[in-house]
Amino acid sequence: MSALLEIDDLAVDFVREGRVAARAVRGINLELATGEALGVVGETGCGKTVTGLSILRMLPATARTSGRIVFDGREVLALPEDELRDLRGRRISMVFQSPATSFNPVFPLGRQLQHVAERHLGIGRRASERLVVERLREVELPDPERTMRLYPHELSGGMLQRAMIAMAILCRPSLLIADEPTTALDVTLAEQILRLLRSLQREHGFAVFFISHDLDLVGDFCDRVAVLYAGRVVESGPAAVMLAEPRHPYTRALLSALPRRGRPGTPLEAVPGNVPTGLEEPTGCAFAPRCPLAEDRCTSAPPHLAPIGAGRSVACYRWEDA
Amino acid sequence: MSAAADWASAAAAAPEARAGVLRALRRDPVALAASTLLALVVLTTLLAPVIAPYPGQGRGTADVAARDLAPGAAHLFGTDHLGRDMLSRVIMGSRPALGSAAAVVVLAVLIGVPLGLAAGYFGGKVDEGLMRLTDLFLSFPPLLLAMVIAALLGPSLVHAVVALAISWWPWYARLARTVAQSLRHAPFVDAARVFGVRAPAILARHVLRNALTPILVQATVDAGTVILAIGSLSFLGLGSQPPLPDWGLMVSDGRTTVLTEWWIATFPGLAIFVVALGFNLLGDALRDVLDPRSGR
Amino acid sequence: MLYWLGRRLLTSAVTLFGVVTVTFVLARVVPSNPAAVYIGPLARPAEIARVTKQLGLDRPLPVQYARYLRNLAEGDWGTSLATKEPVLGGIATRLPATLELIVSAMALAILLGIPLGVIAARFPARAPDVLVRVGSVFGISMPVFWLGLLLQALFSGKLGLLPATSRLSLETSVLHPIPHLTGFAIFDALVGGDWSGLRDAATHLILPALTLAAYPIGLVARMTRASMLEVLGQDYIRTARTFGLGERKIVWHLALRNAFPPTLTIIGLSFAYLLTGTFFVELVYDWPGIGQFATNALLNLDYPVIMGITLFGAIGFLSTNLLVDVLQARLDPRVRLT
Repeated sequence: MSALLEIDDLAVDFVREGRVAARAVRGINLELATGEALGVVGETGCGKTVTGLSILRMLPATARTSGRIVFDGREVLALPEDELRDLRGRRISMVFQSPATSFNPVFPLGRQLQHVAERHLGIGRRASERLVVERLREVELPDPERTMRLYPHELSGGMLQRAMIAMAILCRPSLLIADEPTTALDVTLAEQILRLLRSLQREHGFAVFFISHDLDLVGDFCDRVAVLYAGRVVESGPAAVMLAEPRHPYTRALLSALPRRGRPGTPLEAVPGNVPTGLEEPTGCAFAPRCPLAEDRCTSAPPHLAPIGAGRSVACYRWEDA
Repeated sequence: MSAAADWASAAAAAPEARAGVLRALRRDPVALAASTLLALVVLTTLLAPVIAPYPGQGRGTADVAARDLAPGAAHLFGTDHLGRDMLSRVIMGSRPALGSAAAVVVLAVLIGVPLGLAAGYFGGKVDEGLMRLTDLFLSFPPLLLAMVIAALLGPSLVHAVVALAISWWPWYARLARTVAQSLRHAPFVDAARVFGVRAPAILARHVLRNALTPILVQATVDAGTVILAIGSLSFLGLGSQPPLPDWGLMVSDGRTTVLTEWWIATFPGLAIFVVALGFNLLGDALRDVLDPRSGR
Repeated sequence: MLYWLGRRLLTSAVTLFGVVTVTFVLARVVPSNPAAVYIGPLARPAEIARVTKQLGLDRPLPVQYARYLRNLAEGDWGTSLATKEPVLGGIATRLPATLELIVSAMALAILLGIPLGVIAARFPARAPDVLVRVGSVFGISMPVFWLGLLLQALFSGKLGLLPATSRLSLETSVLHPIPHLTGFAIFDALVGGDWSGLRDAATHLILPALTLAAYPIGLVARMTRASMLEVLGQDYIRTARTFGLGERKIVWHLALRNAFPPTLTIIGLSFAYLLTGTFFVELVYDWPGIGQFATNALLNLDYPVIMGITLFGAIGFLSTNLLVDVLQARLDPRVRLT
């Protein structure tokens, strides 16, 4: 069965005054099967959000994209504008990080969802109103008929995020891109939202492209995980296995840096050095300067993401020396 | 007007910030064009008697034999009803125009800024009093108050300047007040207070310095409007009186014969337009550079 | 909301009181000879003295002030020294003509300025944007009286397309006057079915209205453009795009709704400009409105008229501000007037 979403060799550069100013993504390969939840993890600046936005071609005008993004058999990067707009919000939708600013302050909440429904489903006011009420109920918002008449500023962050999810599942998409959906919420709320997402996913069978910087979160929620570093995928595989036995030094470092993994009384493990910015072009493996296992071959040529069995891939010369 | 506070903090930054502004301005083609234009205007003003082909006529000496001549070789802008060379009159007119505009702005700043700084810094009754006062002045439709004052004082350029300054000072008071308010509890002000620096000195040395940039930008933006206002007052007969080479007055002279001797009203009006345009463009560029949020 | 309104009306009343006082003080404190103005150029000292007494100008200032205030409250705004008509009546008679100009100019500013600003923001740095920016900065830099003269010279003098002055041609006003309903020539002609009168009134209105509108169109276009640019960069617009909404709907419905408030404020301020702008336009086009009334009063030092018009202008200005504030509150669901 072919994948729902296939990202081949995606590269995204940002130009300024005609010249390339920064390379956000340097060749990403990812696959997502129907109904699957893929966690895309990395630190700030690793290119995870840019990758997510590329799927919908929602990057700013200064971005130059190359590679292939195939969704349901169609090449997204080559789609004409109007077909792309049909896709957005209907087959592929997105949940943003800050729900408070993602809604229009001068329109009632329900109206904004209705706009999307009327646009994609060709239905009228009455029908869209009923549909929106139904979806708001699905995301467990109390008293949907009344809530939908409220303005965004009259709702709490948690309620707004639920509404955002309602908008995302409005037209029953096949793929939902979640860009750090719980980062702006407190822990209890975050858990509730994730639980909601999980149950919705199981019920309706959509795939999730889950962008996050939190490895633990992603480990719980997702079926498979891909770890990004400096615009490349360094390791990917089934969530449970990968996080129990990481094969890439960076993944290992990320895991041991998590507070939960440390032993009480011992110092938190940090990864020495800094994440490379998009402005420099590393000659070898981007992680080499900070890697405990680095050798000569690591700095001369970057390792490719290669399958190592059991559905896992690693981009490291020394992955066996874990 | 948090923009003013932003400018204030931007200006409070090191001198490199100010050099950065000049550099940014140099790169903007519109700002460059406007500055060049205004530089030329200022040059014209300074060298007026030298550049004008008939400086005496520029000042008002008539030559009735040569009246109402269309633009030609001897008189590039033609002559007016009293035979005076229009080109010279327009050139000489740059002096009252720029001079009075500068006077209005300077006066408005001198009156408004100290009041505004005091109100914003001290707050309380002083602030309330100033707000009531500015409210009162600002409830007159703009220009109307100036027209009334100029008319009652007796039409003349000086009175027009005074009248305009009286209508304009509230804006600068408000501006200065906003800056002073935002800096009232700034760390460096608190530090100065702790060291025993008296209020007037704080105001003069610390607060004022931060207010300079927004005031300068506002003054540049206003300069264009002031030039228009002075021209307008003179046009109505409430400002300069003949034979002063005031552009507004000249347009008024040519008003009744605009269909036949069109040059008498056209060129002085063009002069007002060009100078106002220059100031507006420069003001825009300054605003863009200092507060990019305000809509590039 | 009512509470806020009440408080606002109260402060406005206090402000108006201040305006009246300031104008009164200015008019009396400054040396002038109202009696001489009243009589005219042939005034002799004996007559001046008599008229001064007749007009009550020899009384002490506070008494005159009190008398003036009492009269105002009763609706007596004084009598024009020059034309001898009651000030309030004089304003009322000339108001329709001026309102025609103001309303037309305001309509042009809104109907042209807003779309121009939106289009400029929609295509930033391209041709429409450049044209709108250049056009609007030209509009706000042009002296209104000069523009008026230029348009006169061009469209009337050179091209002969439109009449140069007046509100109605001599023929219409003398031979077949428009039936008087409201005093608004266009409206009355329309309602009365007087098509030639309508055409006459309309052709006379075009140039003055355009002249007066240039500045507000420029202001409105600029502010709309700036506000739209800021709104189009907001997260919620990005959300709308992400969900596939069409660009036209996003720009003209969603974004404009958010971008409108600063433009509304500018529209309110434009009104204030229009009040004094008519002085110049009416002079250039010989339009029989309040502007002419005011200009003559200023030059002749006809102080009852000056005070009356100043008061009238302040009332108009304050009312417009009030209206704008109320509208702003209705537009933004986050604002509650308390």
